[in-house]
Amino acid sequence: MNENRMKILQMLATGQVTADEAERLIAALEKEPPASPATDGSESRPKSKPKYLRVVVDPEKDNSGGPRGPKVNIRVPVQLLRAGVRLGSLIPVQARSQVNDAMREHGVQFDLSQLKPENLEDLIDHLNDLTVDVDDKDIKVRVFCE
Amino acid sequence: MIFQVITIHIRHQRGGVFHLRIPLLLVWLLLLPVALLLLPVIFIACLVRRVDPFRALSAFAQILGALKGTHVEVGDGDSSVLIDIT
Repeated sequence: MNENRMKILQMLATGQVTADEAERLIAALEKEPPASPATDGSESRPKSKPKYLRVVVDPEKDNSGGPRGPKVNIRVPVQLLRAGVRLGSLIPVQARSQVNDAMREHGVQFDLSQLKPENLEDLIDHLNDLTVDVDDKDIKVRVFCE
Repeated sequence: MIFQVITIHIRHQRGGVFHLRIPLLLVWLLLLPVALLLLPVIFIACLVRRVDPFRALSAFAQILGALKGTHVEVGDGDSSVLIDIT
């Protein structure tokens, strides 16, 4: 018998509550979900996979109360990244090397042929921990997953 | 599941508002015969480009399906553009 139930019975015994009230209190206790063994949140639960990649740009307000820059709120489904990589794997080898060359010219050392769906799964798993916060005097930028 | 509704909301600086909500069920039904007609053309184009047509169609279908939930909202001052796919 738990502590709360014992208290209710003691209140009933001492006449502080009637039998009806005690019954209702016990019924209410039974409806409560059982307390989790670790209530401080320290117990590690399996992390859910991120569903959306969010980009939020919030401009600060100027003296007149208007925004100092553009406001942006973008939500991209992570599933779209997966589909994009699958589509990317269909790019013919010649076109792929042209894309790689073009990216290299712009200083991006990236090989499209190395981007595979299985690599993307690892990337998406780690996206859950990704948060980019940029605080400027005029604008705040946040990139995160949810 | 493929997306069903597109919402486009445009607010002009001059105060005008353009709001469009398109239920796509009818659009999909109308596009279905066109897609069936285009299927052989896509198939041949894929073969010419040496791309697996089944993988290409599967990837295209996945992109269509993955678009659901996309939300793009850009505003600057009094004007703003919102595109929501649900």
